[in-house]
Amino acid sequence: MNCDNERLVTLLAKSAQGDRHSFACLYQQTSAAVYGMCVHLLRSTDEAQDVLQETYIQVWHHAGEYHADRGTPITWMMSIGRYRCLDALRRRRHHVDFETVEAIQTSEEPGPMQETDAQLDRQRLSDCLKGLDERYRATIEMAYFRGFTHQELALAMDQPLGTTKSLVRRGLSVLRRCLGS
Amino acid sequence: MKPDSFERNQALASEYVVGTLQGSARKRFEHWMMESPRLRRQVWYWERRLEPFNNSLPKTDPPAAIWNSIEQRLFGESTQPSEEKGLGLWFWRWTTGLALAAVLALLVWTPLPPQVNHSMVAVVQSEQAQPLWVMNASTANHSLTLKALPPVAVDAQQDYELWLLSESGVPVSLTVLPTEGAELRITLSNEQVRELLKSRSLAISLEPKGGSPTGQPTGPVVYQTQLVEM
Repeated sequence: MNCDNERLVTLLAKSAQGDRHSFACLYQQTSAAVYGMCVHLLRSTDEAQDVLQETYIQVWHHAGEYHADRGTPITWMMSIGRYRCLDALRRRRHHVDFETVEAIQTSEEPGPMQETDAQLDRQRLSDCLKGLDERYRATIEMAYFRGFTHQELALAMDQPLGTTKSLVRRGLSVLRRCLGS
Repeated sequence: MKPDSFERNQALASEYVVGTLQGSARKRFEHWMMESPRLRRQVWYWERRLEPFNNSLPKTDPPAAIWNSIEQRLFGESTQPSEEKGLGLWFWRWTTGLALAAVLALLVWTPLPPQVNHSMVAVVQSEQAQPLWVMNASTANHSLTLKALPPVAVDAQQDYELWLLSESGVPVSLTVLPTEGAELRITLSNEQVRELLKSRSLAISLEPKGGSPTGQPTGPVVYQTQLVEM
């Protein structure tokens, strides 16, 4: 565990004991990452701000439930925010941005996955993704970074729903084998 | 059917974290997670493994007003920039640096006036004027309490789902309703409270067990009601 994580664990632990000063520090140190993810997923600052508030309210109320199996504190908080973003996306399914999807599929510029840095876990994920069949990688990328459902993925990739579901499942299975190796 | 094998757990957990598990399947999975430590560990595994995805996204400082809103909602007060509050000068330098951004953000983002509470109630009745649910909304607490009265029952394969009818015309799913005398309290987002104050209209549809699989009503809308100010 690095110093940053140690500090965040301490701030979470103190927040769980009702220390508002620690909670403010925790927010100051982590909110830009959580908010950046929300804006990216939701493409709406209004909704991203709502989700950010809900996320930190949940963090305050459940700080005592954090433990190391959940990953680092930022992993835990990002997960809380991400699931709330997915809920918000599901509530407005008519806003799917398919133009962005095509840009992801056809662009030769490094995508968000290729920009992961050289730290070991990032490098391993990046390596595994590079080794994936392009169709697997594209479906996982669109699902994770755009919050697409199976149906939206099928529409975006112009392929049957059943094929899309199989691609997602097989892609994740291959990814897991690679990550676990 | 509950996931009962390691491989099945892995597949479902990975799809849950990636986000492709949805609708009633997602709700069922969340219920199984509450019961199964093994399933929870699988989800945590995937959350850890896919964390580098999140790290690759650009960080964006939120408007300073958001922190004030969080404090207001949690503690009923908004912190003022003073050393006595114990946050330290560095934090307020950071906050002050974003003051202009906050003012601009407030022009487009209008949080609910925290001091104004709207208490609203709705009673859903059957065609025979039998009360089925009592709903109480409190905008200050962002809460909606739903109590099912004894006559409410539903087929084992179906659930009643509550929808907020927004002014845009797109129903927003709020929750699967309790039945048989149970009570449920849900927390509304700022956006939902704003929509609720504008439209005050709710609808109930009959859906497959666990709720609509599509995010929009798939079954018949069986009841509609209006929230009225208490």
